[in-house]
Amino acid sequence: MKVELQRKRLISFRSCVPFLSGGFAFVVVAIILSLAGVNPIMAYGVMLKGAFGSLHGIADTLVKTTSLLLLGLAVAVAFKCKVWNLGTEGQLYIGALGATLIGISIIGSIPILGIIAMLAAGFVFGGCFALIPAALKVKFGISEIIVTVLLNFVVLLFIAYLLHGPLKDPTTVFNPYSPVIFSESQLPIILPHTRLHAGIIIAALAIIAVYVLLSKTKIGFEIRSVGANIKAARYAGMNVTKSIFVIMGISGGIAGITGAVLVSGVQHLLIEGISPGYGFIAVIIALLGRNNPFGVAIAAFFFAALMSGSEVMYRMLGIPSSLAITLQALVLIFVLIGEIFARLQIHKTENAMKNW
Amino acid sequence: MTIKDISKTFFAKLAKFQKNTKTSVRDPDSLNVNVRNYAKNKDNGPIVFMKGITCRFGNLIANQNITFDLKKGEIHALLGENGAGKTTLTSLLYGLYQPESGEIYVKGQHAVIRSPSDAINLGIAMVHQHFLLTLAHSVTENIIVGLKSTKGIFLNLDKAEEKILQISKKYGLKIDPKSTVGNLSVGEQQRVEIIKGLYRDVDILILDEPTGMLTPMEEKALFEALRSMVNQGLSIIFITHKLREVMEVSNRITVLRGGNVVGIVKTSETSEDELARMMVGRTVSVNQISQGSISKTTPPTVLEIKNVSALGNSNVLFLKDIRLDLRKGEILGIAGVDGNGQNELAEVIAGLRKVKYGEISMDGRSIANLSPRQIRELGLSYVPEDCLHTGLILEYSIIENLVLDRWYTKPYSNKLFLNKTEMMKFADKIIADFEIKIIELNAPVSSMSGGNLQKIVLGRELSRDSKVLIVHNPTRGLDIGATEYIHKQLIKQKENGVGVLLLSLDLDEILTVSDRIGVIYEGKIIKIVEKQNTDIDQIGLLMGGKAIKT
Repeated sequence: MKVELQRKRLISFRSCVPFLSGGFAFVVVAIILSLAGVNPIMAYGVMLKGAFGSLHGIADTLVKTTSLLLLGLAVAVAFKCKVWNLGTEGQLYIGALGATLIGISIIGSIPILGIIAMLAAGFVFGGCFALIPAALKVKFGISEIIVTVLLNFVVLLFIAYLLHGPLKDPTTVFNPYSPVIFSESQLPIILPHTRLHAGIIIAALAIIAVYVLLSKTKIGFEIRSVGANIKAARYAGMNVTKSIFVIMGISGGIAGITGAVLVSGVQHLLIEGISPGYGFIAVIIALLGRNNPFGVAIAAFFFAALMSGSEVMYRMLGIPSSLAITLQALVLIFVLIGEIFARLQIHKTENAMKNW
Repeated sequence: MTIKDISKTFFAKLAKFQKNTKTSVRDPDSLNVNVRNYAKNKDNGPIVFMKGITCRFGNLIANQNITFDLKKGEIHALLGENGAGKTTLTSLLYGLYQPESGEIYVKGQHAVIRSPSDAINLGIAMVHQHFLLTLAHSVTENIIVGLKSTKGIFLNLDKAEEKILQISKKYGLKIDPKSTVGNLSVGEQQRVEIIKGLYRDVDILILDEPTGMLTPMEEKALFEALRSMVNQGLSIIFITHKLREVMEVSNRITVLRGGNVVGIVKTSETSEDELARMMVGRTVSVNQISQGSISKTTPPTVLEIKNVSALGNSNVLFLKDIRLDLRKGEILGIAGVDGNGQNELAEVIAGLRKVKYGEISMDGRSIANLSPRQIRELGLSYVPEDCLHTGLILEYSIIENLVLDRWYTKPYSNKLFLNKTEMMKFADKIIADFEIKIIELNAPVSSMSGGNLQKIVLGRELSRDSKVLIVHNPTRGLDIGATEYIHKQLIKQKENGVGVLLLSLDLDEILTVSDRIGVIYEGKIIKIVEKQNTDIDQIGLLMGGKAIKT
């Protein structure tokens, strides 16, 4: 009886870890702030106000949440199959490219269908692109971690080439922008007079879709099994290769949709800096949310608030927004440390029982 | 069922058992008298005396008020199932743990043993189940490592070799001090471990499950050496859970169960049946499984392996020219020392390892290099060696684990979605059929005991409508009760017409249940014989790679 109780307590301790880590990171940054001569309480106040204090602030936070949530989901979903997709940044750009091509074509001028086609193109482009590392992993055993990271740079340069050349808007001379997509294929604003677009609904649907896929469907069971124990999955007759392909396709597809949402909802055209490094923060978010769709949503919201709050902090107090990056990094470091401690404790009890 | 309930039933059983076996159980307190006598009379007293030892790990009591004595010049067996507290008790004596309460006397002196080096100074050495040797070094180097005399700049290997040869001769432990440990057989490595202790002039040896990895020949040689040691004044504590060994080699036996001493008996005054009853707490049949009648006509072959070769893990040809045919309704036992290709053979049949050359057919259909799922669908069940990590997904619930092989079929799922209700129904049935004890249906199985985990895999594999069943070390680490249960299940499968291929390191198990016995050695099946035409010695020789001229 006592053993059970202890187990439960440890598990709940584990779920507290991300929150504790966040708290510690804020404390450390407060020390840095006060060393720089800024009152940390005031700075955090400004940050909080920036993220939630006004309709604009909230809308901005939610717009950022949308992208971070989708990308975090992309990373988390791949990790359910023990595949590291660190290439969501690249897949986002490829997805955005696909969506832009649809948005500026004749299909983009059809209402509703234009938006759906853009999202579909984002999914297909991003998903197909993510099959490259999957194929290399399955065929030649090349680590997907390396391939996905490096492909990010390939994509960024490829997009830059397109925007300076073939895809460049013929009406501008200087800016490396694509033409603007048809207004029919732009996501509607759901909160008037702000930037908040319907993408947040797409993100919410994506959470539900991923949850259903993983826990209710056949392919989800296979994917989870391969991720949990590849040896047992193979032994039980599951198709490991198929699982890796499917999960990479879905993961890349979700990243591609993120790109499509950014084009359709925020920029309305393709630019080089359409993502300010969301793909890299996404990895932190997936870790922080423990690869659980709902955990990812909370983590994404937290980071979005952090980002939009620190922008305001920079404008109001002149505190460089690199401090926000410091904060993000510290959160990650504390989470990793916290994970180790949480695991250590469980491991200890199990070990003692084994020796018996 | 909570832990409290389990312990309640356990203690109830224990009380009942103690009533039944009053003759063999002695009240541990009566041994207290010995302490007084002991202090007065040091020469005749035990060389090791452990009194009222209690040791806990967290909430688990590994040893409870245990009293144990070792006389000079005896082999004292510590008998008990896994988790009975044998290894804990000896680890306390060897200084690996500290007891919570209780006292230890060694050679008449009260001893506090804080570390293995304390133990060695007191003349106690322990040979672990897994050897602590460096494979790249010579026997001599392995033996003298860590000794004070070696702490100068130069080693005096010649002198050490001389002493090793002396010990080797004295006790009949044949060894070449110059050879590299990596080239030695398991039996020889064990001798090195024993000599390592003797080299440090100990007179008390603790052997933890020393026969686990030996061939019968090596086992015989070990027992002879042990007898010669005790004849020359050494004392030995012999930890085991195998009844046959205890009867063969020990002088006295202390039986442990659930961390308690349930009996101290003289080997000459007991029997395997009595010991089994003490170990388990109820009557079990030892080696008495019915054989069934052997029909005159040869039944049809269900699995035929023709000249199969396959690569091992290091990409060299490991299975060589395997020829084997498994008949309907028989158990074919494959004996062999660990690592001679048993795992590779099972994997090749199950489609988990590529067939390089040769042909495998099941029920007349070629299955070589089909996918694991295709082979399963054609009628294979497979209980793998590493049940915990290959046969199960530990973070999954029992329901998910039970459908691990059939989740994609009707009625467990439709085209797209899983059907949890049907899965649950199936799980309930298997749990009832196989008497699996569960705490919570949806909890990860990692919290369940080894025996129950084995039953999950068994339940899943045996509930398939299969033609061939491969079982690999199905009872390793299980207690007598669970072992008996699994053997009965195998016999039941055989009687239902399934061809059972039993790969096992436990020769007793193979001799108990199989109809025919094959021996695998260095990736080859070197012989297959009818069970009645063979005996343990012949199989033992074959396991060591020696073909017998007949």
